[in-house]
Amino acid sequence: MILSLKNTFSQIGSATLFASRFFKEIIMPPYETKEFLKQCYAIGYKSFPLVAITGFIMGLVLTIQSRPTLVTFGAESWLPGMVALSLIREIAPVITALICAGKISSGIGAELGSMKVTEQIDAMEVSAINPYKYLVVTRILACTLMVPILVFFADAIGILGGYAGINIHGDVNFRRYLTQIIQSLEFLDVIPATIKTFFFGFFIGMIGCFKGFNASNGTESVGKAANSAVVTASLSIFIIDMVAVQITDLFF
Amino acid sequence: MEKESGYTWKLGMFVSVGLLLFIMAIYFIGKQKNLFGQTFHISSKFKTVSGLEVGNNVRFSGINIGTVEEIRIINDSSVIVSMVIKDEIRKFIKTDARASIGSDGLMGDKVLTISPGPKSTKIIEDNGAIASIDGIEMNDIMKSVKKSVDNVGVISEELAIFSQSMNNGNGALARLVRDDKMANSVSNTLSNLESGTKGFSENMEAAKSNFLFRGYFKKKEKEKEKKQEELKDKKEEQQEKEVKEKAAKEKEEKAKEEKAKEEKEKQEKQKAEDAKKEPEKKQ
Repeated sequence: MILSLKNTFSQIGSATLFASRFFKEIIMPPYETKEFLKQCYAIGYKSFPLVAITGFIMGLVLTIQSRPTLVTFGAESWLPGMVALSLIREIAPVITALICAGKISSGIGAELGSMKVTEQIDAMEVSAINPYKYLVVTRILACTLMVPILVFFADAIGILGGYAGINIHGDVNFRRYLTQIIQSLEFLDVIPATIKTFFFGFFIGMIGCFKGFNASNGTESVGKAANSAVVTASLSIFIIDMVAVQITDLFF
Repeated sequence: MEKESGYTWKLGMFVSVGLLLFIMAIYFIGKQKNLFGQTFHISSKFKTVSGLEVGNNVRFSGINIGTVEEIRIINDSSVIVSMVIKDEIRKFIKTDARASIGSDGLMGDKVLTISPGPKSTKIIEDNGAIASIDGIEMNDIMKSVKKSVDNVGVISEELAIFSQSMNNGNGALARLVRDDKMANSVSNTLSNLESGTKGFSENMEAAKSNFLFRGYFKKKEKEKEKKQEELKDKKEEQQEKEVKEKAAKEKEEKAKEEKAKEEKEKQEKQKAEDAKKEPEKKQ
């Protein structure tokens, strides 16, 4: 019990060190721009179809599910505003982050884990390439920057899905739908949610890299690294979300 | 390195479309809040703002034209509300426009409404001030509601007393409602009245043929004929109508006369009955 507790704390401690090393390394040249762009492509563009489908379905389902409740209050006209608000504030960021945790975090964990196990990372170090810079910094940075963009897409596509959901039961002009959404939105809905997604992205990349980078020897640990990367990243997303919402609530 | 051109343009497209979405969202929300574009400020002094908040809509002719920018309390009985309004609306707001605070829907937000004044043609200046109309407070509504509820209470109390006396009292009306005897006597009275009025009309006929009154009645008939001749000059339709009206009037007059008589007789009978009853009661 105490041993496992100690183990957990030492994990958290080394993760913190790992993260602080990221900030140190990101400032210092040389910059791995090409690798960074490649990672952006792999993380952002390749995840887009998945995020788009999920976003559309979330918008559609949310509209259909919340419709009956609003109809009982005679507030059916608030449906677009409500759906857009819940999508932009909460659902799109969290769902996108969870999907990225599943797709990206596990991918990074497995990739770096197998590199570590097959001693490729050690080989890099021998050939005077900073493996942290080349492998970790590029991936974390790509994640931090790509996840917010994915969330923008998820927002937009989710709103499209909501429009489809509304048109199942009624007939709303698309322009009117958009006007209603924009009327119900404020900067306070968009900005904190966007800031939140940067943290989501950072933690997704950081946890994936950390788990992969610290995989112990043996093929078995590759799977373990990938698995625990997904679990920890998902958990951390919810924790960050809670903290972010509380901070937003505190200040505004 | 892998070949670059294969993915860089896709990545570029992805990033730029994503950022474009974000910028569009920011722009449209900002436009909604009047952050971009020409605006001007006006202010108005209220006694109370009844829950108006910064960011609430300002309406003119039912259209959202701006938002409440600041609510500042200046002393214990006045609050200054300043609002930011689209510049293109400015030419419609004159110096004598008035601001009032209302609510939007049943449970909706408060809305500041600017209503045009009666005559001024001078366009309001930037940072100008307009007069305000005090909105109806919930308190006032409750006060008037309380007043009418109190009245209803008094009325219902009196109604209760009335129906009580109707059901249990011994007044004339109560007995009329409850007592068969009374009802019979009233109907007898009415039939007596009828025969009485018949007799009266016979009397009248007799009076007509009497030499004393004959002259008077003949005069009347002649006047009537004269009038009718005059009317004949006019259109026939009108004639008919007027004749009808006359007939109706005469009928009404007769009915009035009869009624007056009936009432007199009734009163007399009532008196007589009361007189009868009093000894009964005494007994």
